[in-house]
Amino acid sequence: MEKGLTVRKIVIAGVLGAIAILLGVTRLGYIPVPTAAGNATIMHIPAVIGGIMEGWGVGMIIGLIFGVSSFLNATVPLFKDPLVAILPRLFIGVTAYLTYVGLKNVNQYLAIGAAGFIGALTNTVLVLGLAVIRGYMPFGVAATVAVTNGLPEAVVSVIVTLAVVAAWKKLGSSGRQKSKISGDF
Amino acid sequence: MSAEFELTRNITIGQYLPTASVVHRLDPRFKLGAFAILIVAIAICNTYVGNLFALAVCLWLFQVSKIPLHYGISGIKPAIPFIIILAIMQLLFYGEIANGGTVYFQYGIISISSESIRLVIVSAMRFVEVIFLSSVLTLSTSTTELTHGMERLLGPLEKVKFPVHAFALIITIAIRFVPTFAMEMEKMMKAQASRGADFGTGEWWRIVQRTKDMFPIIIPLFNVALSRAEDLILAMEARCYMPGASRTRYTQYKAKGIDYAALVASVVISVVMLGIPW
Repeated sequence: MEKGLTVRKIVIAGVLGAIAILLGVTRLGYIPVPTAAGNATIMHIPAVIGGIMEGWGVGMIIGLIFGVSSFLNATVPLFKDPLVAILPRLFIGVTAYLTYVGLKNVNQYLAIGAAGFIGALTNTVLVLGLAVIRGYMPFGVAATVAVTNGLPEAVVSVIVTLAVVAAWKKLGSSGRQKSKISGDF
Repeated sequence: MSAEFELTRNITIGQYLPTASVVHRLDPRFKLGAFAILIVAIAICNTYVGNLFALAVCLWLFQVSKIPLHYGISGIKPAIPFIIILAIMQLLFYGEIANGGTVYFQYGIISISSESIRLVIVSAMRFVEVIFLSSVLTLSTSTTELTHGMERLLGPLEKVKFPVHAFALIITIAIRFVPTFAMEMEKMMKAQASRGADFGTGEWWRIVQRTKDMFPIIIPLFNVALSRAEDLILAMEARCYMPGASRTRYTQYKAKGIDYAALVASVVISVVMLGIPW
């Protein structure tokens, strides 16, 4: 956030945060997988997309909204612990952003896909890591969940992130981005 | 089948029960502060009696705020199967990791000790307490009050250049747009269904199929959201909204004695809860 929060950043963060909340309350953000964690999730995707589009600050805020909403909606004791539900989610957008920036000059599509993958992985690894530390799961179970939930999550994340961001970037220069003065604020 | 499309009906975000009780009338800043203190205390507390005490406090809060208990219980109901599965797993496999305590039963990797039993019971109780507590908070505070309270509470962070007002605005936008997007999503699901797509009818074990079913909803949803964001950006900039400019407030909060009392009470409760040694 070199220039602080612009109107654009505020609005994008709010809108993508709304999607994170919506996916949570309608249960559409959950992919039912029969494992210990109950469900795989796609709710980290708004945070990933926010991170790619508007930088790590926006990604972090969306992650926070996702974390708080999953904390409030949780049906599993694991996510009723703010340390597990909120803290790890802050980093989803940040790692996604860093991955995107790092690979941007190699290939746009590769960078977007990789950011989606790394963002999902951040969520999986940090949440399960904290779950083990806080004593909700033994390590073996967490490792199984990482494979059974983490992999489908990462794949879905790559597909959706690519589809949304690639479509948006392509159209962005030619009129989807309505405001012409956003850069000046 | 039709019920699956009624997204807007199921959204209980900002569900608010106006009973005008003492808890409802508390200053949201103090209410949020007290809530945060209690949540932290519950997260740390791992004794039986301490958790029983916390549970009693939660039930008392329902009483004081005149909110029927079934609002809290309805939050727990869908979670019961998860709690049971998790409890069994913790009970069977956690004995070795939870050091200390007497081991009652051991067979291969299965080991049950007094510590693993404590873990199971305490985490189940903790879960119920947090649900009760957050139900009381959200049912007794409107979303506007919550965001205003949060903005004021975070106020001091402005000194270290944290954009508090912008942050509160983001939360407000997010909450404002949830019902709008729910409506959009409902429309898209109906549009897809009218073309022959089916949602949620696949068997649960066909995970790949069920995941694929979601793409035609999720991707357009993001696109709709982003184009709405563009409209909002344009509208805000057209009205000369400046992030970080100083602005006055519509609502002013003034702390009364009862607000301080609530804060002190939450600290006392937390100290008692953590002080109980069993």
